[in-house]
Amino acid sequence: MTCVELQESLAENETGSSAAQRAHLGGCPQCAALVAELLVIACSAGELRAAHEPSPRVWNSIEIALRKEGLVRPQHRSSAFFPALNAAGAWRWLLPLAAALLVSAGILVRQHLPAHQIANNAYVGSGSSDGLESDAAVAGLNDDDLIQEIAHQSPALQAQYTENLRRVNQYILDAKSSIAADPNDSEAHRSLMEAYEQKAMLFDLALDRSLP
Amino acid sequence: MTGRVIEWAAFGLALATTLTAGALAAETHKEYRFNVGPKAGISVNNPYGSISVRPSTGNFIVVNAVLSSDKVEVDHNVTANRVEVVSHLLPGADAQSGKIEYEILVPPDASVTLHSSTGTLHVEKLRGDVTLEGASATVDVRDIADAHVHVKTLNGPVTLTNVQQGHVEVDSLSGNVTLNEVTGPLVQVISTSGGISYIGDFGDSGEYRLTSHSGDIEALVPDSTSADVSARSVRGEVHDDIHLQPKQHVPYVIEKGSAFWGTMGHAAVSSTVVLRSFSGKIHLRKRSAK
Repeated sequence: MTCVELQESLAENETGSSAAQRAHLGGCPQCAALVAELLVIACSAGELRAAHEPSPRVWNSIEIALRKEGLVRPQHRSSAFFPALNAAGAWRWLLPLAAALLVSAGILVRQHLPAHQIANNAYVGSGSSDGLESDAAVAGLNDDDLIQEIAHQSPALQAQYTENLRRVNQYILDAKSSIAADPNDSEAHRSLMEAYEQKAMLFDLALDRSLP
Repeated sequence: MTGRVIEWAAFGLALATTLTAGALAAETHKEYRFNVGPKAGISVNNPYGSISVRPSTGNFIVVNAVLSSDKVEVDHNVTANRVEVVSHLLPGADAQSGKIEYEILVPPDASVTLHSSTGTLHVEKLRGDVTLEGASATVDVRDIADAHVHVKTLNGPVTLTNVQQGHVEVDSLSGNVTLNEVTGPLVQVISTSGGISYIGDFGDSGEYRLTSHSGDIEALVPDSTSADVSARSVRGEVHDDIHLQPKQHVPYVIEKGSAFWGTMGHAAVSSTVVLRSFSGKIHLRKRSAK
């Protein structure tokens, strides 16, 4: 497998865990570093805050633009009191309005939620192993697979990697708990990124060709 | 009696000599020389054994290798201006029989990449980029100027000495990191459980970030230091033995014993220093004059 083939295969398996990928990664530090960085991004992507919902004006502007392009036909007048209401046209007119109303309601509800509840919703399972397992599921990282691989390649190093994996997982948990306590703490967010970088480095070293 | 003692001594000496000669005979010395151009690169992957890199006097790379046994061989490859050296473990090799000790000379502006699992990685007196990686390797970097230094270890101790105007990034999961007179536009150390020790004056400008999740962080600085220093530990203790001018507007609450933020020296010419730990202790201490 060449470097180009590996990068193309990452679209199907971004963890680099297939036999062919592992064989290439074992001999190519550049690709190994790339996979490690992708794993960091995958781990931390879930921590990104959701983009703000667009205001209703945005939806209205979209509707106006669609009408100008003729993609949305104007409704036929059928009633003096409710000119846009007919059997099919009513849905076309009401759906964007309903969506805008839902978005506005969502914004209002979120603004009134306590900060810690938002953080808890964002970090389900924080402080427990379930949270790390969900992270692992997102990123395709599997601690057990790593330890098994180490045990297969270098049994003498298994204890070291197991202990360091435990420590870095604790690092991640502690960083998440700091964020949960204060979601606006930028230092805590950076700490979580650094914790994930340490874990990605652990995986990188395990896949590194210097491992005997 | 005296004669018998002399006989036994002679026998022991002969036996020791024979064993030593036998061990040395199993070792193989190999030397390789490569002519290179400016800003050459060398990469060495040595699972077992040390790698030591020093500057040469010209545009050439010399690789001296001492092989412990015939269970390991040196593979080398030259591509354009880059030399790649790999210790190839043969079937049956282990940590002893697969060991190779490397002594390498490179041009001072060469970039160096070293990988080792267990050996000592030593680099000195270079101006090119230095990248060192190893699980348990002991890392020793000294007398480097105007270069990028990247170090990654699992639990090997890391020591950087006299690295000037460097872009330094050290990641060590559980190894202790010691920085002695290390300055530059960026000096960053991240560790999960390793301790971090900084001895120096943080230069006259630059960003310094020392972070350890559970390891202790100690900075020993002279009176002449000019730096904007912030320190924070979520669960550990934070101490400063130096008078700092408190900073007025800070993004987090300064709780005495858990955080501090202030300026020492001249604020107009100073570095930014960030010390962070989750459960480790942080201590800013004054270095006494010699």
